[in-house]
Amino acid sequence: MKVTEAETDQKLFDEIEAAQEAWSLVWQHMLKTGEQMVKSNGFLGKIKNEDVEIAETPSDVVFEIDKVRLFHYRPLTKIRTDIPPMIICYGLFGRQTMIDLQEDRSLVRNLLMAGIDLYVVDWGNPTRADQYLDFDDYVERYLGSCVEHVYEANDKKPVNLFGICEGGTFAAMLAAFRPELFAGLALAITPIDFHGDQENFWRGEGFLNSWIGNLTQDDINLVIDTHGMLPGEMTGAIFSSLTPIASMTKYNIGLAKMEGNEAMMLNFLRMEKWIADRPDHPGEAARQWLNGLYRENQLVNGEFIICGEKIDLSKINCPVINIYAEQDHIIPVSCSKALSKFVPKKNYEEIGFPGGHVGVFVSRKAQGVVASGLIEWVIRKQGSKAKVKQVKKSIRKV
Amino acid sequence: MSDRDKTEDDTMRQMFDAWEKGQETFLKAQSAAMDTFAKSFENMPNFSENMQKDEAFPAWDSFIKAWVPDWDPNVFTSKSSDMAADFTKTNNAFLAMLEPANWSKFAPAQLRVILQSIADGPKFADLATPQHEAAGTWRETLDYSQAAADMGKVMQEAWVRTYGRFNENYSIEDLKSSEPSDALNAWLEAANHELLETQRSLEFMDAQKRMIRASTEIKARQKDLAEAWSEMYQMPTRTEVEDLTKTVHELRRELRKVKRELQSLKAGM
Repeated sequence: MKVTEAETDQKLFDEIEAAQEAWSLVWQHMLKTGEQMVKSNGFLGKIKNEDVEIAETPSDVVFEIDKVRLFHYRPLTKIRTDIPPMIICYGLFGRQTMIDLQEDRSLVRNLLMAGIDLYVVDWGNPTRADQYLDFDDYVERYLGSCVEHVYEANDKKPVNLFGICEGGTFAAMLAAFRPELFAGLALAITPIDFHGDQENFWRGEGFLNSWIGNLTQDDINLVIDTHGMLPGEMTGAIFSSLTPIASMTKYNIGLAKMEGNEAMMLNFLRMEKWIADRPDHPGEAARQWLNGLYRENQLVNGEFIICGEKIDLSKINCPVINIYAEQDHIIPVSCSKALSKFVPKKNYEEIGFPGGHVGVFVSRKAQGVVASGLIEWVIRKQGSKAKVKQVKKSIRKV
Repeated sequence: MSDRDKTEDDTMRQMFDAWEKGQETFLKAQSAAMDTFAKSFENMPNFSENMQKDEAFPAWDSFIKAWVPDWDPNVFTSKSSDMAADFTKTNNAFLAMLEPANWSKFAPAQLRVILQSIADGPKFADLATPQHEAAGTWRETLDYSQAAADMGKVMQEAWVRTYGRFNENYSIEDLKSSEPSDALNAWLEAANHELLETQRSLEFMDAQKRMIRASTEIKARQKDLAEAWSEMYQMPTRTEVEDLTKTVHELRRELRKVKRELQSLKAGM
């Protein structure tokens, strides 16, 4: 059928009209977004970095070894004597301040309000002078010494250790290496099987496992030998690229959406402050982490060595609770849950948190699910059951 | 004139003759080269303002092929749209071709091979060989440029797919019947989907691996240069400091081991 000139003109007219309409709608939206952005910018203009405060719960340094410090938190309520003290150990890729980001989102405060005697390890700020520190140092010497200190303070009775992310791997290794020191082991977002169930990864899950697996041992050695350390800027950039759109939009669309809301903006800025404070990872320990664990999966294969001894995870003989995040884009669920293969069923429990890697600690939802789950587990395993309800109530108040 | 003077005079004459003949040969060779050069440039296209845009690139293409029959000018166009644009800017085209910065980063594989062979070549004990270092540095820079271009290509393809996905999932009718922010969300959803799919692909991971290698090699070269500078100014080098750090670390480890052995001995007493 022949198209007439009039029909062609009409089609062109319709297309122009549609484009004009779309343009007008988009302009309206841009103006609205602009207004939102002005409000957020107004707030940013008023606030200073020092106004963004994190990790404010009071504590004292009770033990030091090299750059590592052990903080003992001051009680917020009466300390329960039936529960052994708990030591929290974060990894080397970020700072432990994440567990005490702000008053209403603080695992530290929740545990203190439950009457738990709490210690937290701070790895300090490693420099190239620390590049030869390896897992022997971090697991046996540093973490081991911190645990021994608390063990001594607890009248030489076993204590609880709570490891987070890489710190969880350190904790699991130490619990297998020195089982006599522990009354309980809690882990969160912790890799144990570094390969995981790769065939069933969801889109966006397990990038770190695939990317590191695609590098050769020489590639990793070249990076470590050249930099001496695994630079914090490099790991920060890699973590950002795991969630590309979220990273690309947080400073524009994300900020605009907050419309200058003080509470939301401060939450965001506290999180940014924590992310920005990313230390360099000591080179030798990073070499073991990337080559020995991520590439060769030595821990679950029983080949990872600490101080001349192969780590056998089945030697963990205390109750274990393993907390994982169902939408964790850094540590796949299957990598964490692999611990269940090594710990007897009677000693092993899990909490699956419906959120992402960092959300386990900083989201509002996590304060109920993770903190109360952990406290309930500690009390059920080690304390008086009658107090569980009372403790849950106190968490909601925090 | 003594015999000795005669011999010296002969020697000087011989040297002068040799120099004179050398000059003559050189000038003749130059003359021949100039003739060839002039003949070649007879066919040089007129890159003037009057040349049409669509004529410029084919003219340049045939001119280059007259000089280097095996050369494939498409090496530029396939690598960089900016290069093609440069060559169509008429009077800038010839200068752009002569500028090494324009083509060296997209140099063909043979240049990389040549540079590698220089960098890996034998070194003489009593001769400085700066060309080894220079060739190595140049090769590493080429590798980095290539790796960055390859990564750029992978990501560019991802964005093209994003555009296609958005067009499939969202239309002007959708925009009319919903909030404009839905269009933005649809775009972000499409981008997130395609970027995550891309980041899982072997193509992306290989490009990423080459980027890591190339950028780290450049960093390692910078370290070498810094070490040379430190040595020149009588300052301790990074390697020396690291050797010392390692020694201290190992000593502390031995000390700790001895302390533990002493403790267990005391406990056994």
